[in-house]
Amino acid sequence: MSAVDNAKAALARISASDVRINAFTAVLAERALARAAAVDATDATLPLRGVPFAVKNLFDLQGLPTLAGSKIEHEAQPATRDATLVRRLEAAGAVCVGALNMDEYAYGFTTENSHHGATRNPHDITRVSGGSSGGSAAAVAAGQVPLTLGSDTNGSIRVPASLCGVFGLKPTFGRLPRSGSYPFCASLDHLGPFARSVAELAAAYDVMQGPDADDPAQVPRPVEATLPTLAQGTQGLRIGVLGGWFKNMALPPARAAVDKAAGALGALMEVNWPEVDRARTAAFLITNAEGAALHLADLQKRADDFDPMTRDRFLAGALLPAAWVVQAQRVRHWFARQVAASFADVDVLLAPATPCVAPPIGTEWLDINGQRLPARASMGLLTQPVSCIGLPVVTVPLWGLDPAAPHLPIGVQVIAAPWREDLCLRVARALEAAGVAAAPLAAEA
Amino acid sequence: MDIERYVDAQCELLGLKLTAEQKPGVLRYMQLVVGMAPRVAEFAATLTPADESGNTFVPVAARGGDA
Repeated sequence: MSAVDNAKAALARISASDVRINAFTAVLAERALARAAAVDATDATLPLRGVPFAVKNLFDLQGLPTLAGSKIEHEAQPATRDATLVRRLEAAGAVCVGALNMDEYAYGFTTENSHHGATRNPHDITRVSGGSSGGSAAAVAAGQVPLTLGSDTNGSIRVPASLCGVFGLKPTFGRLPRSGSYPFCASLDHLGPFARSVAELAAAYDVMQGPDADDPAQVPRPVEATLPTLAQGTQGLRIGVLGGWFKNMALPPARAAVDKAAGALGALMEVNWPEVDRARTAAFLITNAEGAALHLADLQKRADDFDPMTRDRFLAGALLPAAWVVQAQRVRHWFARQVAASFADVDVLLAPATPCVAPPIGTEWLDINGQRLPARASMGLLTQPVSCIGLPVVTVPLWGLDPAAPHLPIGVQVIAAPWREDLCLRVARALEAAGVAAAPLAAEA
Repeated sequence: MDIERYVDAQCELLGLKLTAEQKPGVLRYMQLVVGMAPRVAEFAATLTPADESGNTFVPVAARGGDA
């Protein structure tokens, strides 16, 4: 198919399904068709030739205000150019078709956005899609587009990938440039792709690598291509399973997903990181304070224009004692050192991505092994300690592990040491090749 | 600990005017944070001066570099 035919097909799928899913906040038909025609007109070798994609609406798209899931940013000046990662995907031949729904300012795990509506899970539209990159995961699961971008501060790629049953990559902190994206918490923000196969994920990731001076948090590293390494499989890799917190805060279907993946990989070793709950608390405090400080001027002038789902948390975050936040950063650093040492004995670790499968929209409370916890915040319990120290993770979807909801997926985090995205992707590909992990289209897509 | 008094004082300092609708949620959330923060603060007290912050500054050039 030509790029124009691909773009037209994606636009038709979005038109047919988005009334039900509500993944998109902007569909850019004119832009997409013009870009696709330009792709068709060139003879250049393009690794993503004609691949339609869409981005969480915190990525700058030229000519649109960057909403970041808010009402307030509707008043912002339109972006003057695309975000760096959008430009890199389009330079590789991909075609951007639109912008995707999210939790306001990325502060949530469910994409129950009061301004733009909830994004519904394509595998069961009574359930949440996860968040904050819920539109990004749902659009891939529904087959609207084969590739999307999202962001992950505390789990916002891995949680929706788990709940919507798609593959998601959160690279190492500092790997991909964030320039041209609306920040949430600069100390913890990552960007990354979603796709329905590991090869598509790796192909997109590879073309997005490389330095960009406009993101001071990016670590200058050469492009380290992963697509050519996928066929190496798991040979020679030491694979373990995270215990402790990662078992205690997971319900039986989440633990069963890890057991199934571990069984397929022959991963017998259990690894226990120290003080995981303190690391999670550190991430919680840093996020709350930094996120609030970013929006302080609007909180002072127009707090009621925030989504009620985020407003009170942002207001409280502005009030935190500075010493707590500085101490949280020190604890984070200590935890990163301890975990780095654990990778002397293991190359890849497995852990559940979410405590459970997608809950119904509007769920307020979860019972996790006897603890009654707020449902929305708890969806990130198992992802926060990992992103807190910037480790690369691929989330892989498994199926049929919750007897009460056998139609729903749940994700497993495949975690490696910093800068070893290649290992995460190799193990994810091995699970996909073995038929253990898969991202089928939603039945009604 | 009188959370409400702390919230009122901090809001005054920062120029935040909580409405009657906002305040209960802010107080609930502050109570949650006050319950969690000691997990970090107590542990941080055991660290040494050599345990640096996870937040480090990187010198930068003027904007305008490209990808």
